Amino acid sequence: MLKYIVIELCDTSTSYCHYSNYCDTPELISIDNLKAAILFAMKQNLNIQFVYPDYNLPKEYHEAINSIDHVKIKSSNASNISDADIIVHNGLNTITDFNWTKGSVHVLRISKADMGNIPELVDKTKDIIARLNIVITDIDRFTESDFVDYKNILQKLENPIADSLTKNNILLNLLTDRIILDKMNNCNAGYETICVAPNGKFYVCPAFYHDTPKKSCGDLANGLNIKNPQLYRLDHAPICRHCDAYQCKRCVWLNNKTTFEINTPSHEQCVTAHLERNSSRHIAEILKNKYSADVQTIKDIDYLDPFDKREEW
Amino acid sequence: METKESAKVWMDGVAKNITFIVTKDCQLACKYCYLVGKNTKERMSWDVAQKAIDYILDNSVDFQETSVIWDFIGGEPFLEIDLIDKICDYIKTELFKRDHPWFNSYRFSFSTNGINYDSEKVQRFIKKNQEHLSIGITIDGTKQKHDLNRIWKTKDMEMGIQPKAGDEKGSYDDVVRNIPLWLSQFPNAGTKVTISSADIPYIKESVLHLYSLGIHEVNINCVFEDVWNEGDDVLFENQLTELADAIIDGEYYRDFDCSFYSEHIGKPMDCITQNQNWCGAGRMLAIDAAGTFYPCTRFAQYSLRNKKAWIIGNIHDGIDKNKLRPFLTLDRCTQSTQECIDCEVADGCAWCQGENYDAADTPTVFQRSTAICKMHKARVRANNYYWNKLYRKLELEGIREEFEANKSKSNTERIC
Repeated sequence: MLKYIVIELCDTSTSYCHYSNYCDTPELISIDNLKAAILFAMKQNLNIQFVYPDYNLPKEYHEAINSIDHVKIKSSNASNISDADIIVHNGLNTITDFNWTKGSVHVLRISKADMGNIPELVDKTKDIIARLNIVITDIDRFTESDFVDYKNILQKLENPIADSLTKNNILLNLLTDRIILDKMNNCNAGYETICVAPNGKFYVCPAFYHDTPKKSCGDLANGLNIKNPQLYRLDHAPICRHCDAYQCKRCVWLNNKTTFEINTPSHEQCVTAHLERNSSRHIAEILKNKYSADVQTIKDIDYLDPFDKREEW
Repeated sequence: METKESAKVWMDGVAKNITFIVTKDCQLACKYCYLVGKNTKERMSWDVAQKAIDYILDNSVDFQETSVIWDFIGGEPFLEIDLIDKICDYIKTELFKRDHPWFNSYRFSFSTNGINYDSEKVQRFIKKNQEHLSIGITIDGTKQKHDLNRIWKTKDMEMGIQPKAGDEKGSYDDVVRNIPLWLSQFPNAGTKVTISSADIPYIKESVLHLYSLGIHEVNINCVFEDVWNEGDDVLFENQLTELADAIIDGEYYRDFDCSFYSEHIGKPMDCITQNQNWCGAGRMLAIDAAGTFYPCTRFAQYSLRNKKAWIIGNIHDGIDKNKLRPFLTLDRCTQSTQECIDCEVADGCAWCQGENYDAADTPTVFQRSTAICKMHKARVRANNYYWNKLYRKLELEGIREEFEANKSKSNTERIC
């Protein structure tokens, strides 16, 4: 069932996920389409997330946006980020001198080449910000040595994150979500979330719009039309429905890119998610043993890719 | 009492199936052929074939099956008999040199239109490899039925000009002359018969005709494409019922087999205990003239009407295993509609993964085509009639228990 709608206000709106937005021609959504998208969301009872470009919007856009409850997603390079609910950092360039504010929520999009900087960044922000979502944009290109590096980086974070959790400080998507979750909590694009692009058409998520703009799934004038909608649901994902890496984004766009199927994750997606899961397990053990915290037990498993266990399903 | 059982395919379900698409050319232009992109240009070179074999044998960790079937298809594979001969010699030599476990467990397999079967080169190849060969010649039944679809290709066709009905030249006479030679070399060989809408009236006489030619095993199935017209299921059921009468009254069931009739079909299925995929796509490997790898030939571009080829790698870069994950995790219920899951006669209802992909609303192998639904249900009704009639006959003859003790325990139906 749909719960969220992402409204991309401009072709240059920041990416906040795995996909890259290379568009540099600012094609703003028409005011009529913006109002129609808001109306659609209101009638479908959807939570709205507006994804902003870096430049200032015309006044009438602000008026339309402020007519409804919403979340603002803005790049750290945007002209005004004081009212942003989620701030997206594209790479490490803006991080060094960034003015972190108490309780703020951030997305950091980095490549695997930069993931060694994660522990330092977490250390710097853990007592200030409320949440940090890290998106490694090229996990589809992870090699065996990258898996080893990633595991080591996550291990370095286990004690600091455990300590931070006891103080109700930073939540880090890679490591703290799994400790809290007792079932899959994925992106769910196409099932719980849908996107309206600046052209007034629906897409499963902004990634599909930027990748293949011709492949929309309906438009604001004629309604939503997702073909094979069942394939976006967990029960139609043969690998994922057997998996307990509940924090995994289960990115349908990456799935489609790497395996040609929206419901089938790549080996790289599964292994990275399980490295995070296993480090989360270690943190849960630390919380229990060192801090006597009441947290769920995450079981010990002998695989990193559920695909390898398919004969046992 | 002896009864004919379906001959098992060599190492079926155990062997790795590796298919060389040696040419996309064929002498014929069969009307039901799913190969929409046949052409005379894409012929496999020796260099590509050799690199493909080297890749497979160099990466034996990814090919753990204890046996292998090297399959050669086209178009018409025997158009490239010189290349095939060289490929097979190289495979044998390399398996020996590498002390490869497949050296003692391999087959070369061919599906041919049979036209070149008696040529000197093909016969020399057969004699050289006879102990390791499986060859199926496709003959569709009577001359009338065969020539209805299996017609010679003309120069005009290559330019997109279709002949008038009266100008079509059937291939029956060019194939049937080779049947005695083929059966003398492969007495247990079976033929594959394909049924589309126009063929339905000829099913009974065609199967009986094939029996009369000495072909004891007739593997027959409806095409999976959406070609069926209103009322085809009724005609189909009638043909299969009449054929059942003929087989039972003529006691052909003792020595001959027709894959339409199977005791194992026509029952409901469970989504937990009977959830395996029907099709072997993804567990096979197909290679075309460009050295491109596919999960099955049906995913090569020349087989697809509506979708892009599903490429899983090539001879230079190897196999991208991520592209195989959907196939290796695909199960029956995830790709089926609720109607198919709840179907009371689901067992035996087949599908082709390639056709599912080609016919799907999105580029996915997870949407099962249901174009043959009515035809399967008609088959089940005729199949029920067959077994009820046969068992009553055997009961009255006092040989039912003996028959049941001798019959095959497994369904060995092959559909592609």
